[in-house]
Amino acid sequence: MEAATQMCMRLAQAYVPFQIFTNRWDPMKALMMGTVFPELYRPYHSKKC
Amino acid sequence: MWHYEKKLQYPAKVGKADLKMAKYLITQYGGPDGELGAALRYLNQRYTMPTGQSKGVLNDIGTEELAHLEIIATLVYQLTKDACVDELKAVDLGGHYADHDRALFYVDATGNPWTAAYIQAKGDPVADLHEDMAAEEKARATYQWLIDLTDDPDLKDTLNFLRVREIVHFQRFGETLDLIQEFQNSKHVF
Repeated sequence: MEAATQMCMRLAQAYVPFQIFTNRWDPMKALMMGTVFPELYRPYHSKKC
Repeated sequence: MWHYEKKLQYPAKVGKADLKMAKYLITQYGGPDGELGAALRYLNQRYTMPTGQSKGVLNDIGTEELAHLEIIATLVYQLTKDACVDELKAVDLGGHYADHDRALFYVDATGNPWTAAYIQAKGDPVADLHEDMAAEEKARATYQWLIDLTDDPDLKDTLNFLRVREIVHFQRFGETLDLIQEFQNSKHVF
């Protein structure tokens, strides 16, 4: 919260950082991954016992 | 209006028929955190959004959820289409057979019908966007539990794609929330 205050964020309000364009996958790779943006790709690792 | 493309957004293959998995997967068709609810929620909330950007995001994501709805339908149909009645009875889908034969229906994993009570439209853009962000997270979690419930690599692949889309949508709704909050804090709103 200390950092948030420094960045002029208001209390009782939710924030998601804006995505800033950096790089992208080619269209076919993007289709396979589910997103064109590598930084939005978060694969799931199944937690089966 | 919409333009329909006669293809799926992502391939929907399954390795083999799996009635139990169909019974679980149907929740993303007509369950509380499923694609029908998502599409109808966003396409309805867009009217009371205050900016062109927010209306556009809800329109685009609501439209994509309809594309996901047909992916789920395709998967469920492939998992069930060749089942005989005894096989349906064996996984407790006899009730479904009585009411629907092998037709798809908007139900959750335990057979409860879809209801508009799953969605809301508050008319308050900040409240509505919080609901939308929560909906994306709940749908993401549902896809994770569904991935845990199957060993079929083809099915897992499609579910992984749909799961990543929920994360992307969350980001877009989050950015929209920020823009709306900025808009409301500006002098445009009294």
